[in-house]
Amino acid sequence: MSAIRVNPNPTADLLAALAQNQQQQQIALLQLASGTKINAPSDDPAGAAVLTQIHDRSSQADSFQRSMSSITGQFQTADSTLNSAVLALQRAITLGVQGATGTLSDSDRAAVAAELKGLRDQLISLGNVTYQGQFIFAGTSQTQPFVADSSVSSGVRYDGNAGVNKVTVGNGFALQVNQPGSDVFNAPAANVFQSINDLINALGANSGIDTAVVGVRKAFDFVTSQRVFYGNALNQIDSQQTFLNTEKLNLSQQENTIGGTDLAASASQLVNAQTARNAGLAAMGRSPQTSLFDFLK
Amino acid sequence: MSGLFGTLSIALSALEASQGALASTTNNVANVNTPGFSRQRPVLVENSPVVQGQLTFGTGVTLQQIESLRDPILQMRIQEETQHQGQLDAFVSAMQQAQVMFASSSGDIGSQISKFFSSLSQLSTNPANLALRQGVLTAAANLASTFRNTASNLTQQRSNLDLSVTQAIQQVNLLTKRIAGLNSQISGMQGLNQDASAFIDQRDVLIGQLSSLVDVSQIHSDNGLTLTTSNGTALVAGGQSFALNTQTDISGVQHIFAQGKDITGNLTSGQLGGLLQARDQNIPTLLSNLDTLAAGFATSVNTAHRSGFDLNGAAGGDFFVAPPISGVGAAASMAVQITDPALIAASSDGSPGSNGNVNVLSAVHDQVVASGQTATEYYANLVFGVGSNVSNGSAELSSSQLILRQLQDQRGSVSGVSLDEEAANMVQYQRAYDAAARVVTTVNQMLDTVINMGRP
Repeated sequence: MSAIRVNPNPTADLLAALAQNQQQQQIALLQLASGTKINAPSDDPAGAAVLTQIHDRSSQADSFQRSMSSITGQFQTADSTLNSAVLALQRAITLGVQGATGTLSDSDRAAVAAELKGLRDQLISLGNVTYQGQFIFAGTSQTQPFVADSSVSSGVRYDGNAGVNKVTVGNGFALQVNQPGSDVFNAPAANVFQSINDLINALGANSGIDTAVVGVRKAFDFVTSQRVFYGNALNQIDSQQTFLNTEKLNLSQQENTIGGTDLAASASQLVNAQTARNAGLAAMGRSPQTSLFDFLK
Repeated sequence: MSGLFGTLSIALSALEASQGALASTTNNVANVNTPGFSRQRPVLVENSPVVQGQLTFGTGVTLQQIESLRDPILQMRIQEETQHQGQLDAFVSAMQQAQVMFASSSGDIGSQISKFFSSLSQLSTNPANLALRQGVLTAAANLASTFRNTASNLTQQRSNLDLSVTQAIQQVNLLTKRIAGLNSQISGMQGLNQDASAFIDQRDVLIGQLSSLVDVSQIHSDNGLTLTTSNGTALVAGGQSFALNTQTDISGVQHIFAQGKDITGNLTSGQLGGLLQARDQNIPTLLSNLDTLAAGFATSVNTAHRSGFDLNGAAGGDFFVAPPISGVGAAASMAVQITDPALIAASSDGSPGSNGNVNVLSAVHDQVVASGQTATEYYANLVFGVGSNVSNGSAELSSSQLILRQLQDQRGSVSGVSLDEEAANMVQYQRAYDAAARVVTTVNQMLDTVINMGRP
């Protein structure tokens, strides 16, 4: 009868077990403290790779949203500028209708024409409005777009260009952010400055005033219709903001599913590791204290 | 010859044998904590009997030898597993340092790429704004310096590994020299039929240390032990050791030579195997992947940038310093070419307020820049590669540690000293000694009786 001989010195095994418990304890602590279970790529290589892409997409969504808040201001400024232009044109029509009544004296018509010149100056300054230092109706040019110039027939020269800018606010979704002044105030079909100038000249000559008023009315209708562009753009921004908020929520949910610490699991892992470590320490404290030598007399 | 003197000589043999046996017990107790010690036990044999007529008398006991309890096959398994563990240990700890730079943080290459595109997106809302243009330059400079730092950290790590290789070679040479010395002593003693256990134990410890450094195969022959690497390069042959030496390669790392032959590529196990794997394979692969990404990214951005016009209406030049044609060193040398924010080619038509080319630059985000992947995808794969190197290595390492512990346990069950056993043996030998001494006393009394026979 002989029992199987076991390793009489288990210290190395106990130490290894203790080290392992300690490691588990540290992993659980790190996961709890950092809130993520992927603290190094090796913790979950595939998860870490996916996280890299999720972070990129969420950073992209953030920048789309930031872009939208910057251009929203520009849209609002443009919209309210056009609103003022519409009011000015409305006043011009009223003045034209007044001037067309045959009862006015020459000097009365001259006074009306003077007010119209004032309106023209106001429209020029509306066309030259800026947002954060940029002329919004200059196309993509940086120069002041509208300059009074008697050498051209409308009396106002357009120095901007016909360029438009687009800002990307979503994947494959770019929004046009400006309308060149040549399309808004100087459109060939309904030139605002030409119509005002025609009216001033008609008042001076006291003929063709009615025709000139029809021209101003056309300009009024045209500028009013241009406001729709900004209204639409603002609506699109609203819905895109909502979409991006949802996408960011989805992304952060994905991130949490892949990389977030399962608090309950990590906490119980920590407790388990601590218990195991205590048991290991107790075993170590008891193991090789006595041998037969202690009992020999 | 069963006279009293015969009995006395039997008792004497018992005293001597018990004393010798007790000495082996004492030696076991003394070496209870000595690493590599194999417990010894006395081998007692009966002396040849004497035949007298019909009677056969025993003539006592002889302590024939003190044998060590060891299992050479197990010892060899332990050494093999030690090599495996040494390799994994060195490899995992090297790659663990490398993966730190790829951990998801606000400072890694991936997030710097995102920040660069985010700055472009900002610029597209107000393309002539100098502050936003400066923002793009700053983000690009951060991206470039992150590439440079990552590459230079990896290069630095590679030269640290190189230093470790040199140190490991020095240790190997020391160990093989000592093993050769022990070989001579052992074969000398064995030639004289002496017990060389103590030296064999010491040699096993040294071979264990050598195994953790380099792959070792053992060949036992009549004229001693031969140690070779797994590809057959001799390290120790009997009493002679062959030193390895190192020479700097053209790539700047140490190559290992044995008797004039380059064996660097043949060392696959032990600490050296792991160090070489990280130094010559994984880190260079990482560096070249970084180069591919840096070169692809810089080239794509440059192409996009050249299609536009800067704030002065001039055609755009290179945005990043053009990467080397071969791509080698692209990450380590990545830098932004432009220093003046006005020179960013944001315009697509030459007018300063146009943002058309910013959109072209932003589109690089979704363009294929390297190996059929976008920059972010390529980087994500890189992260995956580094991560799985470490996680696979760690998993193998823990199973190797487990196997090694089990093997050590087995070795302990064969060769380890148990104090209980030794105490029991001690009692046994002491009792035998006491009894033999008692016999001597008794014989003495009997002789006394004989001598005093016939006295009045």
